[in-house]
Amino acid sequence: MNLFLILFGKIFIFLSNLVNLGSGSTWPGHVALGINRNFLKDAVVKRKFKIIFVAGTNGKTTTGKFLQTILEANGSRVFQNNSGANLINGIASSIIKNYNILGKLNYDFAVFEIDENNLPIILETISPDFIVCLNLFRDQLDRYGEVNTISEKWRNAFLKLPKKTKLILNADDPKIAYLGENVKNETLYFGVKTIKKNAPEHASDSIYCSKCSANLEYKSIAFSHLGDWICPKCGLKRPLLDINFFSFCPLPGLYNKYNLHAAVLTSKSLGISNEQIIRALKSFHPAFGRQEIVEYKNKKIQIFLSKNPASFNQSLNAVNELKAKHIFLVLNDRIPDGRDVSWIWDVDFENNLKNFKKISVAGDRVYDMALRLKYAGISDFITYEALSDATTKETALLASSDILYILPTYSAMLDLRKILIGKKIL
Amino acid sequence: MKNNQSSIVNRQYSLTIGWLYPGLMSTYGDRGNIIVLTKRCEWRGIKAEVLNLNQDFDSKLLNDLDIIFMGGAQDLQQKIVSSDFSKEKIKLLREKVENGIPGLYVCGAYQFLGKYYKEANRSKIKGLGILDLFTENPGEGKKRLIGNIAIKNSDGNVIVGFENHGGRTYLGERLKPFGHVMEGFGNNGIDKTEGAIYKNSIGTYLHGPILPKNPEIADFLIEKALVRKYKKKIKLEKLDDSLSKKAKETILRKIVS
Repeated sequence: MNLFLILFGKIFIFLSNLVNLGSGSTWPGHVALGINRNFLKDAVVKRKFKIIFVAGTNGKTTTGKFLQTILEANGSRVFQNNSGANLINGIASSIIKNYNILGKLNYDFAVFEIDENNLPIILETISPDFIVCLNLFRDQLDRYGEVNTISEKWRNAFLKLPKKTKLILNADDPKIAYLGENVKNETLYFGVKTIKKNAPEHASDSIYCSKCSANLEYKSIAFSHLGDWICPKCGLKRPLLDINFFSFCPLPGLYNKYNLHAAVLTSKSLGISNEQIIRALKSFHPAFGRQEIVEYKNKKIQIFLSKNPASFNQSLNAVNELKAKHIFLVLNDRIPDGRDVSWIWDVDFENNLKNFKKISVAGDRVYDMALRLKYAGISDFITYEALSDATTKETALLASSDILYILPTYSAMLDLRKILIGKKIL
Repeated sequence: MKNNQSSIVNRQYSLTIGWLYPGLMSTYGDRGNIIVLTKRCEWRGIKAEVLNLNQDFDSKLLNDLDIIFMGGAQDLQQKIVSSDFSKEKIKLLREKVENGIPGLYVCGAYQFLGKYYKEANRSKIKGLGILDLFTENPGEGKKRLIGNIAIKNSDGNVIVGFENHGGRTYLGERLKPFGHVMEGFGNNGIDKTEGAIYKNSIGTYLHGPILPKNPEIADFLIEKALVRKYKKKIKLEKLDDSLSKKAKETILRKIVS
């Protein structure tokens, strides 16, 4: 039965690529699961490869890319689901795509990025060897619901995990760290070295104790609600860190340190040495839209996907670190972006826009972003209704030694790539 | 870079804006409403001070407020706030609402002003009982009411926003709705009412946040506050709201098409 579904799926993917339909990353899995509900279970239950799940609001794709780079450089064969195809049908599709003609999955590792809402559902079907949990930030409340609801669902699912699943958890995120409390699984914790800072930033999400609801206290904070926390009431505190520093990071930005530490900790737990990891990371290329550098009409553009308050603040920090002069913000409100754009009012534009010489805005909701800037005290910016027009004009005006830093939401990033390199993803 | 609105130095007027539970009740970009109120005062040379009233705040501080704002929250946070609302605080807040202190209560805060919230599992959470309304969650199987929304208020102004709520709110007979639904769900998805307005207090499900794209509501709150405080007729100076207008038109085009 499954052999037939795999064959059918492969033909579908082939045809879909041929006519550029673009639905090859979810439909074959959708159909296969429709015909055989146990398709996925059957495919992985007697597997010869290890499965790693990567979950969290921000950083899934970059962490997956770190893992893939390290594992492949050390001689392992790795396959992944397509970025964004992170529901159950996307995972089934990636399995169909990677079966060989003999109906075998000839790999050592599968690295799957998993949607926040779907993690508990997928865990009912697949028991992975590792679950890497990065963070939970407010993101698309219209689609995902609230952070507390998601973390409770995760916790309930984790309490039912088989013992062999290892957990790699962000100790600096109180809700993620709490997932390791009272589970029977081996659990390793990552974090970063934090500097002293008094209060959490605005729009921090989990500053309440998961155990007793008291207000958490922080000895130091990395950003948002991530840091060295302790509950003054029940004493629950950040678990001891298995890693807080690594000597080489191929990407700027504090948020990438978290992604890197998650990948390094997982790799080390698989027996890969520091030297092997560093050697692998020297050849790292960023995932699409994540600090990716694109050449367009002989000008340099760098894209920083910015999809929620935490990721937007971190992108602004990173471009400030890079001494950016010229930034371009693109806000869309389609399904993958979240239809509610209220979140831009939680981004700290007030303190992060001082150093730029030129600011432009575009996107489906350009005037919402323009209003946000106006109320942040910025008057000197350009608005564009059409993205292609904006891209042409902004790059034409750019000095050849300068870089245009673009901060788009998800669908805006795909549209941008289409304009810049002719295709949305790869 | 500087403000595009030159501020007239006129320290004749000052207002205190109270933000109830900014740490606990601030989920949907709510602080945008505070930013808009503050800036629109500043641009007119009115001194605006924001008083953050967090858990365990001294109830007497409620007496210092000229405008009250309270936003939405996650369930856990709402329970913490509920236990922080002492009898003394409830009594004082009711007094403020009855005395016409202008206020904006969004989503969770709006529900909270009512008599009760009946959860999906049928258990009732008591509200503050300041407004004659109640809210019921119809149960797990029923959809949340989510999407862009446009309403018309009693002055005939079109107000836009984004709603996202599981609870259905029903108004008592004599309580006036804030507006009538043109597109979207509103209080309960059935009777076409949205929000409630009582004296100078507005309760609404509209996020977005509501004030940036609907500055006329911000100005309503500011003007009422000044008139109450200085006991004379005050007409607010007009501001350039062309960006707000364009942002509002974007939403209207979206939901009409």
